[in-house]
Amino acid sequence: MKQATVIFQQGDHRWTLIARDPDKHGYVIDTNEYLISSGNDNLLTDPGGSEIFPAVFSAISAVADPLSIRSLFASHQDPDIISSLGLWLDFNPQLHCYISRLWATFIPHFGGDDQTLIPIPDEGMSFRHGQLELQAVPAHYLHSSGNMQLYDSAARILFSGDVGAALLPEEDGGLFVTEFDQHIRHAEGFHRRWMGSTEAKLDWCERAAKLNPDMMCPQHGAVYQGSDVMRFINWFAALPVGSGIKR
Amino acid sequence: MSEQSAAATELVDMVHLNEGIKEVVVIAFQINIMALNAILLANRAGRAALGFSVISKELRVLSVELTRVMQLLKQDAYRSVALITDLLRQERRAKLMQAANVLSGEHCGALKQRLGQQKQAFSRIRTDIRQYRRELQVKLDDAQKICQFGIAISRSAKIEAAYGAAYSNQLSEVSQDFDQNIQAIVPALAALHDGLGRQA
Repeated sequence: MKQATVIFQQGDHRWTLIARDPDKHGYVIDTNEYLISSGNDNLLTDPGGSEIFPAVFSAISAVADPLSIRSLFASHQDPDIISSLGLWLDFNPQLHCYISRLWATFIPHFGGDDQTLIPIPDEGMSFRHGQLELQAVPAHYLHSSGNMQLYDSAARILFSGDVGAALLPEEDGGLFVTEFDQHIRHAEGFHRRWMGSTEAKLDWCERAAKLNPDMMCPQHGAVYQGSDVMRFINWFAALPVGSGIKR
Repeated sequence: MSEQSAAATELVDMVHLNEGIKEVVVIAFQINIMALNAILLANRAGRAALGFSVISKELRVLSVELTRVMQLLKQDAYRSVALITDLLRQERRAKLMQAANVLSGEHCGALKQRLGQQKQAFSRIRTDIRQYRRELQVKLDDAQKICQFGIAISRSAKIEAAYGAAYSNQLSEVSQDFDQNIQAIVPALAALHDGLGRQA
């Protein structure tokens, strides 16, 4: 079963990481979900695929009332990101899901409709979550043509979706990056292949550096914190991307 | 048999039904063309084939009616497929929610409540599917009655052909074709009827 670990807390403002399912089938990619709590309101980022819904749901229910999840945030359209949407809506039809406007008419194939989905414009937007003001930050072409990240300026945490993702070996179960140089080797192939545009990458690096987050939380792998965040941004800025096709 | 595999079997049944419908519609079309040619032939034969001409016209009407019933069947089968697909999708979700319920233990009463509501929704969908199956069977009964009538008139066609004077041999061949085509529909409809009756 996945474990829920609080990675930030200030009063009733909390980030809980749901990660590492030892019972997960090997053919399904491992994912991180983040529960952002403000008082009794919760938002779940990239809730995951339908196959892992039981594991995510039960991990959350151990630490919070799943009915207190008011909204979901999907960084992009992939099945490992949001194919569980129909299940979440079966459980709570009042849920809303934030998603890039580009995918708002595609996602209903997983569940939901125009009442459920809140399209985020290309330039991003701010929205209220409990007492917090969260920022949907554009990261287009970094894995997906319509791609969004989520920044919590009060916690100074950036949920970065697939940017910063690392496909870690099973024995490396740490939640945080401890040895950057070791860790980044597991991120390199993924970023070279899945990030499609140098221009978009440099644009994102500039934006992320200005945000200057304390923590960067990807959807796969470990969380970057402190100086490793900037280290990642610099590493990414120098990495050739969109070069996965061998001719 | 689990509920999920029962729904999957229903879906396969509907696929077979659709294939069977296509087969019958093709034969009905052939009967229509054949009857049109028979009318022209009977006209050439004149008074001697007046009876054959009337029967051929009846067979044309019959093929049109059969096609209409098969179109109605097709519409019901389409609606059934939509319901069964919805049931399969919801059953898959229920299975995952059930797994979440087991893992969550006593943590989430709301999930148990949703599972109860889902169960009721399944029951409603299953009732609708059973209703469609019954309606499909009624329509297949209608189609079978049309065929029985067709068999009777194709026999009369054989008799009328004998009075066709110089055209007797040609009319006899046509009446033979009528008979063969209508006889081909009967087992196809019976198989569809049996297939639907198996689980209803």
